[in-house]
Amino acid sequence: MFDAVIRNFTFLIGGLWVTFQLSFFALTGGIFLGMLVGLARLSKRPWIYYPVTGYVNLLRNIPLILVIFWFYFVMPILVGRAIDPFPSAVISFVVFEATYFGEIFRAGYQTISRDLVHASYSTGMTYWKTARYITIPIAFRRMLPSLITQSIVTFQDTSLAFVIGLRELVRRSSIVDNLEVRSIELYGFAALVYLIVCFIGSKTSRYYEEKGRKANIL
Amino acid sequence: MIEIKKLNKWFDDFHVLADIDETIERGQTVVICGPSGSGKSTLLRCVNGLEPFQKGEVTVDGISVSDPKTNLYKLREKIGMVFQRFELYPHMTAMENITLAPLKVRKWPKKKAEMKAMALLERVGIPEKADAYPANLSGGQQQRVAIARSLAMEPDYMMFDEPTSALDPEMINEVLEVMIDLVKEGMTMLVVTHEMGFAREVADEIIFMDKGKIVERGTDEEFFTHPKSERTKAFLSQILV
Repeated sequence: MFDAVIRNFTFLIGGLWVTFQLSFFALTGGIFLGMLVGLARLSKRPWIYYPVTGYVNLLRNIPLILVIFWFYFVMPILVGRAIDPFPSAVISFVVFEATYFGEIFRAGYQTISRDLVHASYSTGMTYWKTARYITIPIAFRRMLPSLITQSIVTFQDTSLAFVIGLRELVRRSSIVDNLEVRSIELYGFAALVYLIVCFIGSKTSRYYEEKGRKANIL
Repeated sequence: MIEIKKLNKWFDDFHVLADIDETIERGQTVVICGPSGSGKSTLLRCVNGLEPFQKGEVTVDGISVSDPKTNLYKLREKIGMVFQRFELYPHMTAMENITLAPLKVRKWPKKKAEMKAMALLERVGIPEKADAYPANLSGGQQQRVAIARSLAMEPDYMMFDEPTSALDPEMINEVLEVMIDLVKEGMTMLVVTHEMGFAREVADEIIFMDKGKIVERGTDEEFFTHPKSERTKAFLSQILV
């Protein structure tokens, strides 16, 4: 019954590759920017705190699909020429996910005692060196479960990029469906692929998380 | 030399430090004691610029801590600090805790930093714990690693903020012994502690603080046997049972 899937397997799996690429850039960019957003949200300097807080509140109160649309239609006006769906999607995701990762990092930074940071400062370490070697690594480890959950959500959300014509897994399933008219099998296949990837992803991460906990380094 | 002149600090309306004057010469050990909330820890944090203050002046080797032109990071390199709750970096081994600042601040080569760290671990008596994470060390061992971490930057001054109050009684001495060795080697130390045995043995001056003020100061024996103020007498009678 999955013959429609088998006939178009390479095309569909090519879509999964696009999904992976988009997820990779969205997560790398989102997590990196999120680390900085989290720091900015705890900043005592008003000119850092208020703009970043405004940005976080704005993005967290808009549906992702609108952010994707909006970027896709606004970018050409800003850049002066049409922009490919892929870079447009990457930017939307980074900007959007960074607010979520930022709040996770902020919570992680807040678990770190002031004296631990003072201990680092007292050896001559600067704010940025302390962030790089102490606060960010500790927050990262402590918030690992939340970061994994948000990463899996992001991976699934990349399917929304299909609205701007990005030919990722869901988009390709719909293209094939238009020709073969086998919606249940095709979308069922796409769902199964997401399920497998997310399941493996979450199990692998939990394994390393557990390992870290046992080694007492969390 | 550390010079504190007419230091005043407020947390909102709370006057946490009031007109503190104190001079610590090179090679001296000054012990600060007093009830909790008397401003002892805050005073230490004003000396290395971890806490800002509103009035007065603190200078370290003539460099003003409150001067906006002062590079506080640079200044802190020569003032080591040890905390009540050790504050070791939990995601790093003892070795990594000690070598971090020498590697990243001093830019020492890895070999040199590790040799220095090993020598310091020998000195505090736990070379076998180099690869252990803080969570696998006892409180006394953690505090000794923390002291080694401060010493790795080869500071001219060491400040201790109640270094033994979070320790089980049987671990207090192993930490005090390391501190006494430091005094004997001529380190300049500013120590907040209630270990009066330690104060008696090594302090050049003992300061008693209460409600943000220095109530009494003395040189060892006279401080204990003939305290001038009633407040000091009451405090000493409580901790010297």
